[in-house]
Amino acid sequence: MSSLLTHIAISDGKVKRASLEVLSRCKELAGQHGHTAEAMIIDPDAAEYVDRIKEYGAEKVYLVEDPIFKNHINIPLLKALNSVITQANPYLVAFASTESTKDILGALAAKQDAAVLSDVSTFSLTDNGVEATRPVMAAKILSDTQAKGDQILVSVRSGSYDLIESPSDPEIITVDFNFEEHELKATLREVLGASGDKIDLSEAETIVAAGRGTKDDKGQALIEELADVLGAAIGASRALTEAGIMDPSLQIGQTGKVVSPQLYIAVGISGAIQHVAGMANSKVIVAINKDPDAPIFDIADYGIVGDLYKVLPPFIEELKKIKN
Amino acid sequence: MKFYVCIKQVPDVNAPIQIKEGQLLQDTDRMILNAYDASAVEEALKLTEDHGGEVEVVSVGPAKTTEAIRKALAMGADKAVHIETDGNRNFDSASYAEILAAFFEDKEYEVISCGKQSQDTDAGLTGGMLAEKLDLPYSTNAVGLDIENDKLIVKRQGDAGQEMIALPAPCLVTCSNDMNEPRIPSLKGIMQSKKKPVETIKLSSIGIDESTLEPQTQVTGYREKPARQAGEKFEGEPDELAKKVANLLDEEANAI
Amino acid sequence: MEEKFDCIIIGAGVAGLAAAMTLARNNMKFLLIEKGEFAGSKNVSGGVLWGHDLAKLVPNYWEEEDTGWERFINHRRLTFMDDEAAFSVDFKSSHFNEPPYSGVVVLRSKFDRWLAGKVQDAIDESDYAMDSFIATNIKVDEVLMEDDKAVGIRTGEEEFHAESVIIAEGVNNLLTRQVGLQDDYVPADHVLTGIKEIIRYDQEVLENRFQLNGKSGMSNEFVGYATDGVEGGGFLYTNKDTISIGLVLGLKDLREKEKSPHDVLNHFKAHPVIADTIRGGEVVEYSAHVVSSGDMQIMPKKLYKDGLLICGEAANLLMNAGKAIQGMDYAMRSGILAAETIVNAREHNDFSSETMKEYRSALDDSYVMKDMRDFQDAVHMLHQPAMYKNVPNLMCGLGKKFFTIDNKPTKKARKLMSEAVKEHSSWWELIKVGIKGAKSL
Ligand SMILES: Cc1cc2nc3c(=O)[nH]c(=O)nc-3n(C[C@H](O)[C@H](O)[C@H](O)COP(=O)(O)OP(=O)(O)OC[C@H]3O[C@@H](n4cnc5c(N)ncnc54)[C@H](O)[C@@H]3O)c2cc1C
Ligand SMILES: Cc1cc2nc3c(=O)[nH]c(=O)nc-3n(C[C@H](O)[C@H](O)[C@H](O)COP(=O)(O)OP(=O)(O)OC[C@H]3O[C@@H](n4cnc5c(N)ncnc54)[C@H](O)[C@@H]3O)c2cc1C
Ligand SMILES: Nc1ncnc2c1ncn2[C@@H]1O[C@H](COP(=O)(O)O)[C@@H](O)[C@H]1O
Repeated sequence: MSSLLTHIAISDGKVKRASLEVLSRCKELAGQHGHTAEAMIIDPDAAEYVDRIKEYGAEKVYLVEDPIFKNHINIPLLKALNSVITQANPYLVAFASTESTKDILGALAAKQDAAVLSDVSTFSLTDNGVEATRPVMAAKILSDTQAKGDQILVSVRSGSYDLIESPSDPEIITVDFNFEEHELKATLREVLGASGDKIDLSEAETIVAAGRGTKDDKGQALIEELADVLGAAIGASRALTEAGIMDPSLQIGQTGKVVSPQLYIAVGISGAIQHVAGMANSKVIVAINKDPDAPIFDIADYGIVGDLYKVLPPFIEELKKIKN
Repeated sequence: MKFYVCIKQVPDVNAPIQIKEGQLLQDTDRMILNAYDASAVEEALKLTEDHGGEVEVVSVGPAKTTEAIRKALAMGADKAVHIETDGNRNFDSASYAEILAAFFEDKEYEVISCGKQSQDTDAGLTGGMLAEKLDLPYSTNAVGLDIENDKLIVKRQGDAGQEMIALPAPCLVTCSNDMNEPRIPSLKGIMQSKKKPVETIKLSSIGIDESTLEPQTQVTGYREKPARQAGEKFEGEPDELAKKVANLLDEEANAI
Repeated sequence: MEEKFDCIIIGAGVAGLAAAMTLARNNMKFLLIEKGEFAGSKNVSGGVLWGHDLAKLVPNYWEEEDTGWERFINHRRLTFMDDEAAFSVDFKSSHFNEPPYSGVVVLRSKFDRWLAGKVQDAIDESDYAMDSFIATNIKVDEVLMEDDKAVGIRTGEEEFHAESVIIAEGVNNLLTRQVGLQDDYVPADHVLTGIKEIIRYDQEVLENRFQLNGKSGMSNEFVGYATDGVEGGGFLYTNKDTISIGLVLGLKDLREKEKSPHDVLNHFKAHPVIADTIRGGEVVEYSAHVVSSGDMQIMPKKLYKDGLLICGEAANLLMNAGKAIQGMDYAMRSGILAAETIVNAREHNDFSSETMKEYRSALDDSYVMKDMRDFQDAVHMLHQPAMYKNVPNLMCGLGKKFFTIDNKPTKKARKLMSEAVKEHSSWWELIKVGIKGAKSL
């Protein structure tokens, strides 16, 4: 019997939902295969988040606390992960596929000489390894993939699994960690435009996504208003992030974020495969586009063919009515 | 600065594909330069144009990989190394990282630049693996690069904000295509590329025995995605459409 | 130092590639420029490449492992349709089975890339392995002329010079107009649009349905209902595991009848006979492209100038006389002839019209111009309602009467014929068409 260790990502003082999805899945697998589900939190105030983890059945929680984890820096994070893994000696280490994870996953695999599967949409255990599905070719198709080895790392796309509550009373293990300035080869100078109060796209219930069709001020204003009414997060296609009209962290798609909200409203977005790659798993998709042949309509549950400048105002009004 | 840019030739995701008995078939077996690598090449070219230096591209792959290499040379890279592999083998990121690490062992450079991921597999692993194996400071998902004395200044797209990171050379960085618009090779560039040096080397020459390269991960098959059905498409008077759909969202889909 | 080429070829379609291959084989220093991302990327067409010229360019191409072509034609069918029936003239013969084949089906995006690869090989074996180029993703903006002699090309800011220029830019011949060899205005009734869908099947299903054997294939042309009353015709070709099905329609007639090519195609596919033929496939590609009418009136006045030659569909070399569309083979032959003229010019170091005009006479002596001249009437006839309405209706009418057996005294075919004629046309009408047809084919 060995352990399945989930890394718990913290952002803006909150446990990332995606990490809990992964923990839930690991707990499930641990049950099926007689392993234990464990978790690790690497954060200046790691201990504060233990209570949240308890709800999802971790049997051990490893804590690494150090001020240096205030911001994401790969070298100390790698060192911390390495010490936890050395101590816990898990069979599987699972991550939510965040940008921070992507930053360290390859290096960690090389450091641990572990097999690694990144960005999987499902994963399960086999007698000699891990079996996973990965979206490939810009998420046009799925590949069945296997990893063999004494230790295996996986990162999981957000929204791939549901949360399953199963309260537990985990053993808390604080892993001692010290980090010398000189080890820090790279220096983090500053963090720009951290979207503090903005809603985290990968966790948003509703997303209003703006495309090239909305690039002028009038279009942007309409997008904001629509998002307001719905209490939605705002996302963007590459056309807008590229043009500097929207913050790059809002890009949805192959290069940008993968999202899976309950409602996704694509306004003035053509639906190129690289964009669809990031949002095709949304529950309900609405598309507003003046080109009836735009590919976005092929995946939209509700398509409105029309000029967004004419459609959005009445749309927003109607939504307001419905809301109150 | 001396830049090595690792470039990969990948199948064109826009070309029609089909799946037969779990195998992935491309109607026109069109291979292209990985878009993220094109951005890496572009940025290396810009930086060496402003600060001096040299751009050399490295690619591991079968004989026909030369197409991607020519493209990079036509864009302006000075020279290229083609580490030739047997076309019938599939390697994973770890295998490529191992090969590249062996190649770089005795090389002199300030920066190794990779794409943030392969356009076809989206693995996003090779860069980090390579940095670890070569024990280089590194950063991933760069959306901007600059040079300050002997440091590479990386603007990295994080989960929320953008992190400004200074990496001392030698270092490794992986590039996002949000960094720039790769130049389209000019006719002159295409002509010159033919005369630029391309060194083709065998794996054995960097001390690697292809037969013992066993990938730890393997693709066992490909599947169609459960297709998403197109729903209703409404055309007509904007006002009515807006009202109709808003209410459908509320009552039918109860998504509001 | 700025290098001067023997020749710059504009366009890596069939004509340009054929010319390039010929130049490479003859040790010429040349530049082949294609605006598409790769040869064939811009090319929607595809169909049957008739004749034996491919075997000249790529000897024994049929022995190749990775072939650029789909199937060879040993089964041909011409079908007349009304709204419920189809009357076919069907011919299949094993004499077609021996290479060099007299027709192979190609998909251009694949074929052009494959042929470009062959040209590259030929370049690599030539004396100018390092100095001749195939450059893609480059659009030629202008042919550089100095006192009416072509001296090179301009793309963006860059200029390149050459002894000669071959324009092989295809039907949308802007550069041909720029050098003043084609009037800017081409009357709409001389322009056709070709639309095509590619439908995929399981290869075995396809081979069983069309009785294909190994690499053998079928080509089927359609007249009548196919075009929903719009002038033109339809085609169906079998590829490896797909079919190409489409129409070539008169632009003017489409406009007048206010129909979109796509609607007409769906109309065609809905015909009971066609619906049965194409059942079960998955449409994987749709494309539309202009096709020239093959009317000699719109051929450029001249096909050459000092240091300049025009070949392929840029010169409107195309024939659509009902029994087949011939554009690729014309393009191929004219490309070869143009290149041979350049080779000759190089030898005598004279690129003036004096030498260039040899191209025109070579073309006139070839089957290309002979056919274009001889079949002009057929071309014109195709554009007459009689051809795409009355005749097909009549054929089907006759067919119905002739093949229906319903416990009534069977009438003699002659009588059936006259009945059919009365219903759908008139003897007079028919005689006119008949005589024309007899003359024209
Ligand atoms: C390797 C790679 C990775 C990529 N990653 C991403 C990614 O992560 N995310 C991403 O989004 N893209 C990505 N792209 C780019 C992608 O291919 C498309 O270029 C991009 O998504 C286009 O954005 P768009 O739909 O907003 O713009 P367009 O494709 O230009 O579409 C604009 C649409 O708006 C409609 N429109 C215009 N005006 C109006 C109006 N008044 N009313 C209604 N509709 C209107 C038009 O009909 C059109 O359909 C990537 C590309 C590559 C090669
Ligand atoms: C639907 C359809 C079906 C057809 N079916 C058949 C058939 O069954 N049999 C047959 O024989 N013919 C068929 N044809 C006709 C045939 O496709 C053409 O006659 C043939 O392709 C002409 O060849 P070309 O080389 O002259 O021109 P093209 O094949 O059109 O090649 C021209 C090339 O030049 C390039 N180019 C153009 N301008 C520039 C520029 N400024 N700079 C750089 N490059 C440039 C273009 O990108 C293109 O690649 C069909 C056509 C259509 C549309
Ligand atoms: N065969 C290869 N040759 C050269 N570079 C490669 C190769 N494979 C991966 N890379 C580099 O690693 C990046 C992608 O990593 P990955 O997504 O793990 O495949 C690419 O953008 C390249 O920079």
